[in-house]
Amino acid sequence: MYAYNQFDQTLVDQRVEQYRDQTRRYLAGEIPEDEFRILRLMNGLYIQRLAPMLRVAIPYGLMKSEQLRTLAQISRTYDKGYGHFTTRQNIQFNWPTLESVPDILADLAKVQMHAIQTSGACIRNTTTDPFAGVSADEIEDTRPWCELIRQWSTLHPEFAYLPRKFKIAVSGSSNDRAASQVHDIGLHLYHNETGEIGFEVLVGGGLGRTPVIGKTVRKFLEPQELLSYLEAVLRVYNLNGRRDNKYKARIKILVNAIGIDAFTEMVEAEWQLLKDTELRLPESEIERVKGFFTGPDYLSAVHAGSDLQGVFVEHPQFATWYRQNTRDHKQAGYRIVIVALKNQLQAPGDVSHQQMDGIAALADEFSFAELRSTHDQNLVLADVAQRDLLALWLKLQDLDMARANVGTLTDMINCPGLDFCSLANAETLVLSRQINETFDDMDYQYELGEIQLKISGCINACGHHHVGHIGILGVEKGGKQVYQFTLGGSASNDASLGKTLGRSIEQDQVVVVIGQILDVYVQLRQIDETFLQLVRRLGIVPFKERVYGTHQRSAA
Amino acid sequence: MALIKDQQLSVNHAATPEIRFSDWLNHEQAAGDTVLTNGEDDLPSLLASANKLSMIAIEFETFADGRGFSMARMLRRDGYLGEIRAVGDVAMDRIDFMHRVGFNAFELRDDQHAAQALTKLGEVSVHFQPSADGKGPAYMA
Repeated sequence: MYAYNQFDQTLVDQRVEQYRDQTRRYLAGEIPEDEFRILRLMNGLYIQRLAPMLRVAIPYGLMKSEQLRTLAQISRTYDKGYGHFTTRQNIQFNWPTLESVPDILADLAKVQMHAIQTSGACIRNTTTDPFAGVSADEIEDTRPWCELIRQWSTLHPEFAYLPRKFKIAVSGSSNDRAASQVHDIGLHLYHNETGEIGFEVLVGGGLGRTPVIGKTVRKFLEPQELLSYLEAVLRVYNLNGRRDNKYKARIKILVNAIGIDAFTEMVEAEWQLLKDTELRLPESEIERVKGFFTGPDYLSAVHAGSDLQGVFVEHPQFATWYRQNTRDHKQAGYRIVIVALKNQLQAPGDVSHQQMDGIAALADEFSFAELRSTHDQNLVLADVAQRDLLALWLKLQDLDMARANVGTLTDMINCPGLDFCSLANAETLVLSRQINETFDDMDYQYELGEIQLKISGCINACGHHHVGHIGILGVEKGGKQVYQFTLGGSASNDASLGKTLGRSIEQDQVVVVIGQILDVYVQLRQIDETFLQLVRRLGIVPFKERVYGTHQRSAA
Repeated sequence: MALIKDQQLSVNHAATPEIRFSDWLNHEQAAGDTVLTNGEDDLPSLLASANKLSMIAIEFETFADGRGFSMARMLRRDGYLGEIRAVGDVAMDRIDFMHRVGFNAFELRDDQHAAQALTKLGEVSVHFQPSADGKGPAYMA
C-alpha cells in the first residue's frame, strides 16, 4: 500500500500543529464558537450528544496492521476501549476529550494517519471497492487512482468551503461494491472499445433527504486528466451550488435544478481551460503511485493452495464460514476473507481494542500485514493462502469474529443513531439488538440468501436505508420513535432507491414486520429468486397487504 | 482594520473600494478603478472587465461562503496582476488558503491579531495540488 515520503509526512505533521494551535486559541476564547465548529469539523471532530466524536480517515479503507494497533492504543488511552467503523471506511471514536485531540492526531501522524477532511463542507475520504487489487472480477485496480485523488483533495485551498460535503467513490470491477452511483462523484474504471483504460464520470448521486442516482457527465475520461476533470466539476459546484439552504446544497440539487445537459456543458467548458495544464498527471507520477500497489510476494498456487474438501467434512462450521465469509481471489491458491463486525453482542461496525490488536496480529500472520475496512462496516483480510484458512478461522473464533453471516440479514449496516448522534431522531442500536435476538437461527438466514438490511436513525441516511434491500428509517412522531420501511433498494450496478412500504411502524413491532416481509418472500419466491429480484418482480403490494392488512384486521 | 499585503503588515495602502462591481459596470469607467465584489456578481463579466481594474476586493459575507476562493483562482488564471483583497469575515485560519488561490491582500476582521495572522501564511509548507501560488506537488517541481 501507499507509504508516506518526507513530503507527505511534513504535510501531516504541520497540519497537526496547525490544529493544535487552533484548539489552544479556541480554549483561550480567541476563536468564536461557530468558527471553531467549522475548523474542528474539517478535522473530523464532532460534538455529539454525550461527548465529542473523532472520525479518523482510512483512505479508501486500506490499513497496515501497525496502524490498526495504533487505533487500538488510541481507543485505550483516550477513549473507552473501542472504535466504530463507518460506511465511508473510516473509524470513529466516541469518547475523546476536545483537549486531547491534538495529541491523538500526533499519535496518528506517527503511523501515517490523520483526520483531515473527515467531516465538514469539503472533499471527504475517497472510498472504493474493499476487494480492489485482489478480486477475480476486477477490470483495473482502483487504489492508485484513489491515492492520487486523496493527495489532490487533501488541503485543496479552493475547495475547503464548499456549499456542502462532497464524496467521491471509485469502482473498477464489473460488480460495483463502492456504491458509486449514490456519490457526489462516482468514477468507473473500464476499457473502452479500443481497449484503453479510462473513467466513466457520474455526478449528482446521493442519499439523505433527496436520494438520487448519479448521472453520467462524461462517458470516457482519459486517466491522465482525472484531476483536471475533478477540479472542473468542483469549481462549477463551488461557484453555483446553493448556499441558502443546507438541505438543498448538495451537488445533486444543482444538477437536478439546471439539468444534466446544462451542467455537463458548464463542466466541459471549464475543463477545456484545465486539461493539458499542470493538472494533467504525468505518466511518471501515475507509475510512481502504481508502484505502491503491486501485489505482495504470493506463494505459488502449489504452496498456497490446499484441497479443503476433507477439512470441510471434518469441520462443517468452517465450511459454512468459508462459503459465507470468503470470496474468490485473482491469485490461484488465495482467498479474500471478510471479518464480520456483526456479532450478536456488539453494535454493527464496533470493534474492541482487544479485537483490533487481535486482528492486527492475524493480518501479520496470514495476510501480509495489511487489512481493509468496508463500506458495509466489516473488515477484510485480502490475501489469505487457502492452506491458512482453517488456522485463521480458529483464531477468529477466539476473537468472537468468525460469525458466518456476511451477506445475510444480520450483516446489516447501522448508523449509531440516537444513542450517540446529535442529529438522530430515533435509536437504531436497539433494532440491531432485537434483530439479532429474533433472527438468531443462522440456517434460516442462509435459506433466505442475500439480504441487505440498512438502518438509519434520521433522514441524513448515514445507514444508507434508501439502497437497502430492506431499508429502515427512524423518525420521531409525536414524541415517539417510529420507523419507516422501504423495500427494493440497491447500491450495486443495478442501483435503485427503495419504495416506501407504508405508514410508520412502532419500535417494538419492527422485528415483527421484518418477519412478515421475509414470510412473504419465502412464500412467493421462485426457484433461485433472491429477495431483491422478487421485490422487483412483484412490487410492494404483497408486502403491504401482509404488513398492514394483518394490523388492520387485528385492530378491528 | 489591519491589512496584510504581499506577506507583510501594511500601513500605507489604498482604501477598500466601496463601489460594487455591478454598479461600476453602469458607471463611467477609468483605467485603474477599484471595485468590491462577491459571489453574487456575474463572474464572466468580472473576468472580462478585470484588465481595467487595479484592485478587486472580494467580500466574504460569512466565512463559510467559499465562492471567493474560485473567483480569485480564475482571475489569476486569466492573468490578472492587480491586487485581490479579501474583505469581510476574514480570519487568520483561512488566509493561507486564500493566499494560495491568488489573494495577495487580507483585510482582517477586527478581532484578529495581525502579527499572529502573518505567521499563518505558509503554516503548512507543502502542497498536493497546483494553485495560483505556483507551488504544487513534488512531481511538478
